[in-house]
Amino acid sequence: MDECPPITVRLAVDRTDMNLTAGENIGFYTPGQEVSSQTGFMRGHGTYVDEEETLRASVAGVLEKVNKLISVRPLKTRYQGEIGDVVVGRITELQQKRWKVDTNSKMDSVLLLSSVNLPGGELRRRSAEDEQTMRRYLQEGDLICAEVQSTFADGSLSLHTRVLKYGKLSQGIMLKVSPALIKRKKTHFHNLANGAILILGNNGYVWIGANTQEKDQSEGGFTQDLSRVALQDREICARLRNCILILAECNILLTDTSVTYAYEESMKYTPSELLQSEAIIDVALLTQQRLSQF
Amino acid sequence: MLEGDQDQEEDQGGLRNDGRRAAELRKIRVRMGVFGQADGSAYLEQGNTKILVAVYGPHQPRGSAARAGGKNVGGIINCQYSTAVFSFSAGERKRRPRGDRKSIEKSLQLRRAMESIIQLDLYPRSQIDVFVEVLQIDGSEYCVAVNAATLALIDAGIPIKDYAIGCTASLIDSTSKNDEDSSHAAGVVDATYMEECSPGATLSIIALPGSSNDATKGLVVVAQGAGQRLHLSRLEALRNRALCGCRDIRNILDRAVRQHLTVHSQPSFSTLHVID
Amino acid sequence: MADIPLSLAEKTFILHGVDANFRNDGRIRNEYRAMELETKLMPQTNGSARIRLGNTDVLVGVKVEVDTPFPDNPFEGKLEFFVDCSANATPAFEGKGGDSLATEISNTLALAYQSPHAINLKTLSILPHQQCWKIYVDILILQCGGNLFDAVSIAVKAALYSTEIPKVTAATLDGGKPDIQLSDDPYDCIKLDAKNFPVLVTLCKIGDNCVVDPSSEEETCSSASIVLSTLPDGRFTSVVKMGHGSLQPTTLIKTLEIGKLVGIKLNASVMESLKKEDALGTNRPIFGFLR
Repeated sequence: MDECPPITVRLAVDRTDMNLTAGENIGFYTPGQEVSSQTGFMRGHGTYVDEEETLRASVAGVLEKVNKLISVRPLKTRYQGEIGDVVVGRITELQQKRWKVDTNSKMDSVLLLSSVNLPGGELRRRSAEDEQTMRRYLQEGDLICAEVQSTFADGSLSLHTRVLKYGKLSQGIMLKVSPALIKRKKTHFHNLANGAILILGNNGYVWIGANTQEKDQSEGGFTQDLSRVALQDREICARLRNCILILAECNILLTDTSVTYAYEESMKYTPSELLQSEAIIDVALLTQQRLSQF
Repeated sequence: MLEGDQDQEEDQGGLRNDGRRAAELRKIRVRMGVFGQADGSAYLEQGNTKILVAVYGPHQPRGSAARAGGKNVGGIINCQYSTAVFSFSAGERKRRPRGDRKSIEKSLQLRRAMESIIQLDLYPRSQIDVFVEVLQIDGSEYCVAVNAATLALIDAGIPIKDYAIGCTASLIDSTSKNDEDSSHAAGVVDATYMEECSPGATLSIIALPGSSNDATKGLVVVAQGAGQRLHLSRLEALRNRALCGCRDIRNILDRAVRQHLTVHSQPSFSTLHVID
Repeated sequence: MADIPLSLAEKTFILHGVDANFRNDGRIRNEYRAMELETKLMPQTNGSARIRLGNTDVLVGVKVEVDTPFPDNPFEGKLEFFVDCSANATPAFEGKGGDSLATEISNTLALAYQSPHAINLKTLSILPHQQCWKIYVDILILQCGGNLFDAVSIAVKAALYSTEIPKVTAATLDGGKPDIQLSDDPYDCIKLDAKNFPVLVTLCKIGDNCVVDPSSEEETCSSASIVLSTLPDGRFTSVVKMGHGSLQPTTLIKTLEIGKLVGIKLNASVMESLKKEDALGTNRPIFGFLR
């Protein structure tokens, strides 16, 4: 009960470098560098045209070219939403007929009252009563999973949760990683073999949901199951959490495959051992190896 | 890590107190991405001047900026220049980290410099925070702060037109009137604290040197003089000396950014897209 | 403190986890995260240290000055703590935003070091009634990821351990005016006796149990926490309760007992690594923020 595990105090001289994937130098662009002086190219993200009509990079990263559209992609940046993306977000504010949602983008996103399913799946116009009971559905601090419905002119996003798989998230752990680590895929919802639910939001917010028994969908996903989670499922969540942080720290893309590999390779450690740098390096290296076999 | 360029060899006579030549920079050491929680961060050392910068944003405006910026269509840049109380050289201690007149003025000038490079039109109604923390002072700290802030912006992936580079040029000795040929006559770059304190004038310049090799073409954004009076005829030479310093610093920082990109890029980063 | 928002379900998950003695990152209740320590990284100070504990990052610089002692304590030197919450940690600390937290931390530290068992201020006296050393301990909080108090206290202990005070070669009274000669040799200096410096141990009450080394999420879930300053022999020099919640007397006793065990261990571990770093000699590379 009152046992005290040893406390590790490491010295800075013994620090290990977490970067395993020493990438090669592949012609990076840095701000101010000339990309092209020819006309006929379209200016994409991360570029600008100066007074002399020269196309220059405005961020540090790699060049991407789609036909005539030239853009430079930086190593890391805030999330830039695209329609159809799956995001995980946190409610920051309630306004009339809308919720404001923090989605790691340059402005808070908007979830309109008309873009959510009402409890019971009723389909009708939203009334004034609905406006008054908004806080009952979602309040400040609540986590949601949603899809980007549209983008506004100023770059902010409008979300919707009108499919049953979206909605309020229940018990689990939310992690923040760089959006660059998450690749756009067909599916961002993963029911892992160990029973946990993994949502890799395009915005870099990752959700690890505890294994809860068949959710009652009739309430429109606004109820939360606050019953105790079994220790075994809790261990799975903790292990997944630490594995995802290992992958993020070592700059490995997050997919269901990489997370599963890391999870499997981590089995020889206890979840708390995965916080130590020796285990981090080991798991990351083994995962990297398995990923590169294909 | 990278070192200041040492291209020409000179006789001992023309050396400065710390053994540098007039146009020679101090050792520059860089690290980007120091903090996990900030959107961008950088640590920069120029000699014994050490500065940390964190960038938050662009994000939804919060606090006083949100209220004041209601009508503001473009983005808001919010800068804070803060000096650690233990940052001075031996024996001295600063009383307050920020809030004094000098810090407020430096915050303002830092904002000017940042406004000149950030493409604010891309971020309507959002806010970018730039927080400078000076850890150790040995001259040219404002210029180093601007350099570090530029690196932090790059780390955060915020689009900028060009590197904003700061460099000081200092006229240190009044005796140089006698020998106009001496390299010190045009001033020394990247002044240390001792050189800034010597009788003479120090010019701090923030410039956008551009990637061209002609140093004198750089755009001067902020210029500031301190110290004693300076004859107008010598300003030109002093400015050119500072601009040369800016160009050299830009080259060093650019190399550091590329190095950072090389080390931290994912393998998939390169394989997906072919550049022609 | 900059509270991070959490939903009810997340809080429940953390709460039940603490109940089951299995926290969100896999640690048990009395387990610390690994920390990393470096001393003497700021050459322009008399002593310095940086600690990283999870995402928490604290830098401490120590400067000494010759000052006149307090009239009511003429035989003692002075020790002063100053905390600066840098806006680098979170935009919420901008301007005066971090001041209340800073005052809270510096007051807690001052309380912890107030006891003569912790530090003997008499050793800092040069000429009684006339001159003494004043030690400024300046703490800069660069990032917070939970458990600030413990991290700060460890960094303070390490920085004070590394502090070198110039040796006074001659101290005389010259016609009522004190005259002090300091040694010219920068290596000729005295060190503080760090043996008994306290560390703070925060016990964060979540539900019916207490955890050590809380993460920011766990701090959000907690209504009350106890900050103990423990000496290496297990004695407390101060006990402070933070937060709005309350504790039962029996819980308090139980908490203090856990805190004692953890405090002894923490003191020993910190001391051990400081000695290890010392053994590396003066030529060890200094990383600071470069790696």
